[in-house]
Amino acid sequence: MNRSMRCRGMRDMLPPEMRRFRRIEEAFREVCQGWGYDEVRTPTIEQLHLFTSAGTLSPQTLGRVYSFLDWDGWSGERVVLRPDSTIPTARLYVEAMQEARWAKLFYTQNVFRFAQGDESREGSQCGVELIGDTEPEGDVELILMGCETLRRLGLEPELRLSDPGILRAVLARAGFEVAEQLALSGRILDGDIAALDEIQERLPDTGVSLRALLASEGEGVPYLNNLRSALLPTIPEMEKPLDELTAVVTILTDSGHRPRISPALVRDFEYYTGPVFHFLVGERTVGGGGRYDALISLVGDLSRPASGFALEVDLLMELLPGEGSEGVFEVAIRPASEGTADLVATFRLASALREGDRSVTVAGSGDGRAAWQVVAAADGFALSGDGGAGRRLASVDEVVRAIAEASRD
Amino acid sequence: MRKPAVIKLALPAGDIRGPVAERLEAAGLHVEGYGEGSRSYRLSLPDRDEVTVRVFREKDIPVQVALGSYDLGVCNLAWVAEMRARFPEQPIVSVRDLGIGRCGIYAASAQGVSGLADLSSLAVVRMASDYPNLADAFAAAARFPAYRVQAIWGAAEAYPPEDADVVVVAVADERVLRERGLVPLLRLLESSAWLIANADSLAKKDLSSVLGPLVAGASEGAGASGLRLPTPLPAAGRRARRPPERLVIRMALPDGHQQRHVVEALSAAGLEFEGYDMSRTERRPVSPLAGLEIKVIRPQDMPQLVATGEIDLAVTGRDCLLEHLYRFPSSPVEEIQDLQRGQYNLSAVVSEELPVSTIGEALDLWRSQGKTSIRIASEYPGLADHYARSRHLWRYQIIPIAGASEGYVPEDAELLIEGTETGRTLAENGLKAIDLLFRSTTCLIARKGAALSGQRREVFDELVAALRRSAEAVEPV
Repeated sequence: MNRSMRCRGMRDMLPPEMRRFRRIEEAFREVCQGWGYDEVRTPTIEQLHLFTSAGTLSPQTLGRVYSFLDWDGWSGERVVLRPDSTIPTARLYVEAMQEARWAKLFYTQNVFRFAQGDESREGSQCGVELIGDTEPEGDVELILMGCETLRRLGLEPELRLSDPGILRAVLARAGFEVAEQLALSGRILDGDIAALDEIQERLPDTGVSLRALLASEGEGVPYLNNLRSALLPTIPEMEKPLDELTAVVTILTDSGHRPRISPALVRDFEYYTGPVFHFLVGERTVGGGGRYDALISLVGDLSRPASGFALEVDLLMELLPGEGSEGVFEVAIRPASEGTADLVATFRLASALREGDRSVTVAGSGDGRAAWQVVAAADGFALSGDGGAGRRLASVDEVVRAIAEASRD
Repeated sequence: MRKPAVIKLALPAGDIRGPVAERLEAAGLHVEGYGEGSRSYRLSLPDRDEVTVRVFREKDIPVQVALGSYDLGVCNLAWVAEMRARFPEQPIVSVRDLGIGRCGIYAASAQGVSGLADLSSLAVVRMASDYPNLADAFAAAARFPAYRVQAIWGAAEAYPPEDADVVVVAVADERVLRERGLVPLLRLLESSAWLIANADSLAKKDLSSVLGPLVAGASEGAGASGLRLPTPLPAAGRRARRPPERLVIRMALPDGHQQRHVVEALSAAGLEFEGYDMSRTERRPVSPLAGLEIKVIRPQDMPQLVATGEIDLAVTGRDCLLEHLYRFPSSPVEEIQDLQRGQYNLSAVVSEELPVSTIGEALDLWRSQGKTSIRIASEYPGLADHYARSRHLWRYQIIPIAGASEGYVPEDAELLIEGTETGRTLAENGLKAIDLLFRSTTCLIARKGAALSGQRREVFDELVAALRRSAEAVEPV
């Protein structure tokens, strides 16, 4: 067949991929539960206005959501396949959990965004949302959770931290409108250093080179102190973001981490209100998050600070080593013939072994990988393989006992 | 000598046919049968065998060119912008401004709105447009906190203020907009008819025999202007809209080919509205009945307005109602009276050359030819989808189009779901109906369980009773 029956940009996960997926999910789940977080799941389909009213998706991202009129669409209200899980979780909190002063929630679920060509249009995220007043310890907790998950997977994460308030303060002081601020921050993220010169022209009193200070990364508190001393006198609005970031960086550094600071880190410039962070493995950003204190109030009429992060499962799957088959069984049972009596003997033995929590395989392949191989017949069981040693036993109980004894040895 | 490759050219139907035909003639391209008043959709150039011409609705031409079904097309640039707003990567090149049909695409509001900033305080901004993708891009760029875009078939100017806060509409200039009682908020695009090309065809195929004469001709155009979108509006306190208590019955009447049937039905019911007769179509005709407000819009757009309660009563076609109900089975709209007029058939239509007389035979034939997917072009995608499912077409592809479906078969679709009144246009274009879906007539629709009382109830009942009498006087069809 020359035309795939699978929708473009959608993926199948084959057994080896599913094993890696579950390994990531389990590591993440154990870390979250260990830090006192509860799992939730939100619907695949949400109302479109939830995302437009939250103002968290840029027009470019909004243009890539799978939105449509569903069967109730006569009212003109469109729905979307969720392009993000943070906003639905905020909705869930506002609608069902707002009595709680804090909510510590996590999820593993898929998100959908249109991409050109054969690029993936469906991804999975392991995400955490921490709702309630927790600054700065909440930010640190989230960062540690992300790092712990990656380490459990055998990956060594690097941390990049920032605070969009730094760049926002510079751009606002330079007198740029919101739309111009968005365009300039996008250019800086794209590596267009000339954008910093354009900003500098509007800030003749600064006296220091923005290009020198903001175009490169710095390390920890010393770099933040340099930013503070060089820019705070002319851009006093920088004080709050610098203070917030310094608090987080100080705790992390004193706990043995070496975060790097990037003045421009995230595209969702309007969305984040405080420190933001990325987790990198090698050169690849495999996840990130930050503080978005305005989000809950945008979704519902309720003011509650919030922060969170997500790990991109698909990227992590590429980084994990391939794993061997998990289809290794303790006992492979094959009927001596297709006769009913032999089949009954086969399944009596299989059921007895399963009651004892032994892994068995009857139908299909796999017997070559089992430690015990049994040929079942109405008049008895022939054992072979590593543990079998050519024995012949008369009853189910004897086989079960023999396997149990051999396992104890 | 090697035979030149076939060049496929898509030309627009509608009022623009005349000026486009003139422009082609001036470039030495005589398309036989194309021009004002023509009903032919499958044409050729007598002296140029290598060119085949099909006629489509302007809105559908960028889609056909982007798909590569046509190498070249002529359409208003606004339709290219409309497609690109949602599908930015499509391989279309705008080659040359032909200087015809100049207009602007405006975002506009009703009187009383002084500018875009006034809209930022609305809890939900209601938009209506026959350019829904441009309207969507506008709303996203303005960062409306919540908005609803109603994709309509036309008559956008009739919507504000009752049924929409903003319309995105094509008009000659701002003056026309103001004459229609609208306030311009932003001109999104300066537009006119352009020669467009499929990027791949332009790169790999010799199109020079058509391209050359059209590009060489004197251009009256001003060149392409980019799409302008608003900057984000400042966040403002949102106010929930509380609709004013309605004291009147709001009724919608159709323009277009149904109008004459509806005028007859109204006349037989003893109802005459100033500005809505056999020769005039005003958007807001005057009603002699106290407590009745009339609006004239496209019949396709009525079921949704009735469902949402903006309109209490509407006269539309059963085809439009069923299209709506197949798409939105939970919609609360229902037919309350068949007006027994304006009958036409909704049919499955194929090429006359196909040696079949039923849909079953057609399916057998297509499968024997190795077709794995049946392409169905229709102005009624909901009906077409329902038909394809109920007739077990297996793998099929619905091509939603704006009209002029006759040009699609057989090259660009196997099947049409099409309304036919006399069958003349089908015959003229080498087509035949092989399956009747249903007979459509003009009907009266309303919202199920609408709570009406007092004068509104009286006016509603009076109208329904009068139209029922008018229907009963017609010989059943």
